[in-house]
Amino acid sequence: MSAAVRNAAAAPETAEGPVVAVRDLRAWYRLRLFGVDREVKAVDGITFEVRKDEIYGLAGESSSGKSTLVKTIAGAMRPPLEIVGGEIQFSFMDGTMGLNRAPADLVERVRWRHLSYVMQGSMSVLNPVRRIGTSFFDFAFRHMGLDKAGFEAAVVAHLARVNLPASVLKAYPHELSGGMRQRVTIALATICRPQFIIADEPTTALDVVVQKDVLAMFRSIQREMASSVLFVTHDMGVHAHLTDRLGIMYAGRLVEEARTPDLFARPRHPYTRHLIHSLPRIGDDRPRSGLEGTPPSLANPPSGCRFHPRCAFATERCRVEVPPMEQVAPDHRVACFEKDRVEATP
Amino acid sequence: MTGALLELDSVCKTFTRGGLFSRTQVEAVIDVSFRLETEKPEIFSIIGESGSGKSTLARIILALQTPTRGTARFKGRDLAGLRDGADRHAFMASVQPVFQNPFEAFNPLKRLDRYLYATCRHFAGAKTEAAMQAGADKALRQVGLSLAEIKGRYPHELSGGQLQRVAIARALASGPSLLIADEPVSMVDASLRASIVNLFRKLRDELGLSIIYITHDLATAYSISDRIIIMQKGKVVESGDARTILADPKHPYSKTLKESVLEPLAPGERPLFAR
Repeated sequence: MSAAVRNAAAAPETAEGPVVAVRDLRAWYRLRLFGVDREVKAVDGITFEVRKDEIYGLAGESSSGKSTLVKTIAGAMRPPLEIVGGEIQFSFMDGTMGLNRAPADLVERVRWRHLSYVMQGSMSVLNPVRRIGTSFFDFAFRHMGLDKAGFEAAVVAHLARVNLPASVLKAYPHELSGGMRQRVTIALATICRPQFIIADEPTTALDVVVQKDVLAMFRSIQREMASSVLFVTHDMGVHAHLTDRLGIMYAGRLVEEARTPDLFARPRHPYTRHLIHSLPRIGDDRPRSGLEGTPPSLANPPSGCRFHPRCAFATERCRVEVPPMEQVAPDHRVACFEKDRVEATP
Repeated sequence: MTGALLELDSVCKTFTRGGLFSRTQVEAVIDVSFRLETEKPEIFSIIGESGSGKSTLARIILALQTPTRGTARFKGRDLAGLRDGADRHAFMASVQPVFQNPFEAFNPLKRLDRYLYATCRHFAGAKTEAAMQAGADKALRQVGLSLAEIKGRYPHELSGGQLQRVAIARALASGPSLLIADEPVSMVDASLRASIVNLFRKLRDELGLSIIYITHDLATAYSISDRIIIMQKGKVVESGDARTILADPKHPYSKTLKESVLEPLAPGERPLFAR
């Protein structure tokens, strides 16, 4: 595929539909213990889509529901987590059922072949008592449709793409450095050339120098395969350099979404604004302020806009009404009543 | 020797690895020297990637490990000579650590106020319940919390930022003159990092506390440090005033480190991994 063709395919108005479309998804943790009902609304009415050949970033503090959203999309739910409403639609599966409602044999075929997952702690993802080569066999062999020799050759060729020698196949996870292990997990997730990859904080545990290499490699593989990626991290620096579009989550809801450069240039939600302005920069001596107050409890979230107790722009209306997600510019949605005032403030 | 709070004089630390016939030596810290003054409290940053020896250096300063060669002196006293209990006790009261992951630093089954009480009882000489509570409250107020908020709470009830503040308050309860913070914000959310970093600055200015800040994050180091040293494979490759070094690093490794920092883009700047 030439660069021109690929760029045309990456344009926002593609003929093809989104690879993943999530509509009004609500996933709650429901506990019934000793007659006490407790509901934790970790994902509460989220709508977004990931288009073909793009990296969609998802940012938010811990306990904002990022990981619950990812688990729900990957169909890796365990009670007490359950989907209360909404739907997840994949381009590679018919109908509007997500992996949560699909029959087990379909899930088995789709997972890893069409949808794969790069997890946070590479040390705890790879089985410590199995060699890397065996892990590749466990994950990918049945999806590739190759004989053993062909599979080995494919794995070695794929490892070369992430700058790993074939000798790592004989190694145990503890024999590799953190950066190498993370590259192994990325190779594992991409070997079947899936259409959709979920990456949950893949570089948070790495050093800055290694992180840069791993991200560059991740981007080049994504470009080559034209996959779609949902990239979750709380590091806004990574989002600025890697992602094409970016969604900001706060307390189980999406509060703003835009193309990454637009979001950094013109944030319209007070929380996004704070996230961007609180980042320290080398060569900039202006004092940074932390966000006051505590993150909201999802078991008992604030009424109205969930950000209002910590928001400098909050009005009476924010305490009562939930702001809807509104389109304010092409590819830019925000959920805030005071968005014009936020944008006008320097 | 007067005036030096902490003085490291060509400190080396070598670890031996392997069995009798396959013995290899790993040099974790090679020839590190620096000096912190008593009269001039400052935030001193040690920067380097994992495996550069910065945590070993921290353990030497906390007297948890003795250097193989060279000496580390705290207020003129050689740390290798901290033999008996009373000496070590006095040392521990004045040099306190803050660890990376506040969720791991606290026992999940133990109430947070008990950590503060124990530190007050052992190191601040608080004998009665009332004295321990007063000491704990004073330390918590220095970090912007209060005993009323923390009393009876377990670690899982607090956010990462709050928990790290409690960890800092616990360190302050003994009345230290030096704080060793090993990656204190890397497990804390980006939105709460700024408040922890600002807190360190406030402690330096108001309590006259010297802080050794160990990190691989150049951006926060730039925003709070007075002086920095950059370490690579156990050696100090660059040291001096934080502003000067980070504005214009000279050593190739420092340059690589600075280039690897992913910062939000300035207008007109292209992302590193653009299509």
